[in-house]
Amino acid sequence: MPATAKMDADMHPRRKGRPRTAETAAPSLVEILNLVRTEKATTRQELERESELGRAVVADRLGTLAELRLVDESELGTATGGRAPRLVRFSANRGSILVATLDQTALGVGLADLGGHLRMEHHEAADLTQPVSTLLDRLTMLFRWILDMQPDAGELWGISISVPGVVTDAGESFFQTGTPPVLPGWESFPLVEKLVEGFDVPVWLRSSVETMTMGEFHSGAGVGHRAMLFVKIGKRIGAGLVSDGALFRGAQGAVGLIGSVPVSSGERHGTLETMAGSEAIIRDGRIQAEKGLSPILAEHARRGGEITAVEVAQAAHMGDAAAIDILSQSGRMIGQVVATLANMLNPELIVLSGSIAQSNDILLAAAREAIYGASHPLVSRDLQIIRSQMGSSSGLVGAAIVATESLFSPAVLRDWIMAGRPQAHPQFEALRGRLEAQTAAVAAVMPPPKT
Amino acid sequence: MVIEGLGPHGERASAPERVLLLPEDKARARAAGLRIAIVLHTLASDWAKQQLAGIVGTLGDCGVAVIDVVDCGFTPEVQIEALDRLIREAPDAIISLPVANAKVAAAHARVSAAGIKLVLLDNVPTGLLPGKDYVSLISADNFGLGKMAAEGLAPHLGEEAEVGVLGYESDFFATNEREIAFVKWMRINRPRHHLHVARFPSLTEAGETASALAKKLPDLKGLFVVWDTPAIAAAAALVSAGLSVPIATVDLGKEAAISLSGGGPIVTIAAQQPFRQGQTAASTTVTALLSRLTPAWVALPGVAVTATNVVESFQTIWRSPAPREVLRQQKLLR
Repeated sequence: MPATAKMDADMHPRRKGRPRTAETAAPSLVEILNLVRTEKATTRQELERESELGRAVVADRLGTLAELRLVDESELGTATGGRAPRLVRFSANRGSILVATLDQTALGVGLADLGGHLRMEHHEAADLTQPVSTLLDRLTMLFRWILDMQPDAGELWGISISVPGVVTDAGESFFQTGTPPVLPGWESFPLVEKLVEGFDVPVWLRSSVETMTMGEFHSGAGVGHRAMLFVKIGKRIGAGLVSDGALFRGAQGAVGLIGSVPVSSGERHGTLETMAGSEAIIRDGRIQAEKGLSPILAEHARRGGEITAVEVAQAAHMGDAAAIDILSQSGRMIGQVVATLANMLNPELIVLSGSIAQSNDILLAAAREAIYGASHPLVSRDLQIIRSQMGSSSGLVGAAIVATESLFSPAVLRDWIMAGRPQAHPQFEALRGRLEAQTAAVAAVMPPPKT
Repeated sequence: MVIEGLGPHGERASAPERVLLLPEDKARARAAGLRIAIVLHTLASDWAKQQLAGIVGTLGDCGVAVIDVVDCGFTPEVQIEALDRLIREAPDAIISLPVANAKVAAAHARVSAAGIKLVLLDNVPTGLLPGKDYVSLISADNFGLGKMAAEGLAPHLGEEAEVGVLGYESDFFATNEREIAFVKWMRINRPRHHLHVARFPSLTEAGETASALAKKLPDLKGLFVVWDTPAIAAAAALVSAGLSVPIATVDLGKEAAISLSGGGPIVTIAAQQPFRQGQTAASTTVTALLSRLTPAWVALPGVAVTATNVVESFQTIWRSPAPREVLRQQKLLR
């Protein structure tokens, strides 16, 4: 353990007597770093004004942050009469975050800096019903490949993964200390623990709707807005809400499960997911192809092609009347449910995402019509309804934001900042200690290998 | 058409037919008096020449004037300077192959910000988004090409072998996908092989990198190189070191075709269709300029080429007869 880390770990629990310099410095370091990181202050003068700390304290703390390589003052700003001020910049390349998105049919991986900007990404088809150990092997291999390809990236500080299910709060801990049963098989496989052991960094998990909402808000259509509603349309349909610039997580992180809302269309009744999700689109597409009502889908099937939701969307784009009808119905049903949310929440922006929404205007147009038609005039007056342009990248960016927001939240940051790396956080050291003890215990009961 | 890979943002591929131009589209384009510029990584390779021929020919059919064609010589600074100069020319669209990732991202973003439609070939700098920063990406199914190369090399490797993978050090979507796919296929389907990855920083160092890898692995039984030009350099380096190692690569360049036809060291090729890709890039550009929705990613499948189908594959891909040496090797010249 590095000496600084030891010092930091020793800080807890707080002892009696005069506080150490490190202990008194931590709160102001945290404040100054976050002012720089969020660009609320970009010069020493602005830092003094925003933090209400004296010049000497600001200078001292910036010196410490520079030694920890968390800020950089090499750039000059614009002079406003007199000498040009030195700009104080957050060193986003000081650390990096490995990110991943797990979808029902695809896997995405990337590497982001501490500002949530992706340096690299890769996506490939995957089957999430495969054993968790196989998934972990693939994820580990791709993570190692990315690190190998990005030798200039900052030291690895975390892994953040977007998963296709609700992840409830991790309790007291700021990261995952165990593997939640998000998908079948996860309850008996230590996925998170294996990643912690393999990469020696904290791991975060969040639902794909949450990460995509965060990604869209920080790097996509949501930039510059304060209230955004994000709707992901796939096999599952979910919604995420950003209110006053922050993601709303509800009581347990189970926000926006609108796929379970009952809807009806003519004689048919069911949940929004079963009536308008991608499986419904596939089912209806196959039926129309079999009946001969969709010439393009029928031809595709005749040539041995599988009918997927994207196929239906492409057929609709080529003017296939039956496919257009399927997507219009889906869009209308989704729009009706989203209109209820819009009336309740008054967003500035609604973003529809998912491969069907992104590849086709028909579903978007039908959803728009339903939302505008059922919204209060005050709600719809300035409301924009658009499709996401980020694709699965939004999940990767959002996963990075989850990790960085957690790492730099004042309550977490103050416990590792003096060490200059989050692995020195007492909670992470405790987890690592527990995992090492478990490994040692397993090794102790295992018979020695035969020679 | 089976496309194995996903797009740079996880997109599902769209077929080239999605941007098919009808006679009325061509008439509208002709009436609009459109001007476009083309910025390529190089104009020296067979692949680039064919791609350019496909683009320029199709644009000609639509009455679209090509006002400039830039050879960036694989240099980011040259590309940045070219894009900034072309922005001042204010063409209706620019078709560009980004030669790097982060280094050229801002310059490409400036093209769209200036109201010029940007169509990308083969690579998307990280952070740029379809519909916002560019119209569409047109590329081969590079993941499929990597898998195809692995399938083609596998019969030459025996039960358990040391296999080299010669990747490209630059962060480039197309070559990354090929490398990942090759390694993935081998690990799943030939788990007894041992894979060793080395990456060359530039074309001139490909032979050297191959030699170093071969020195480290005296029992090297096969090699995958992510495209044909460095594969030829690697083959020459290995041959001069007295090694006979079967090589799989991507793209049916003339020299690669001759090596393949003559029995090695190149034994299998997963070929792109550059002429067709050029036509597709032009159609996509015209579709976007006619204000119609274009897919985020249009992908073309690869063609598996071996010594037995090299002549017809060459004709299909290059729209010209196979080199005379290939015809001689195939005993087609009397």
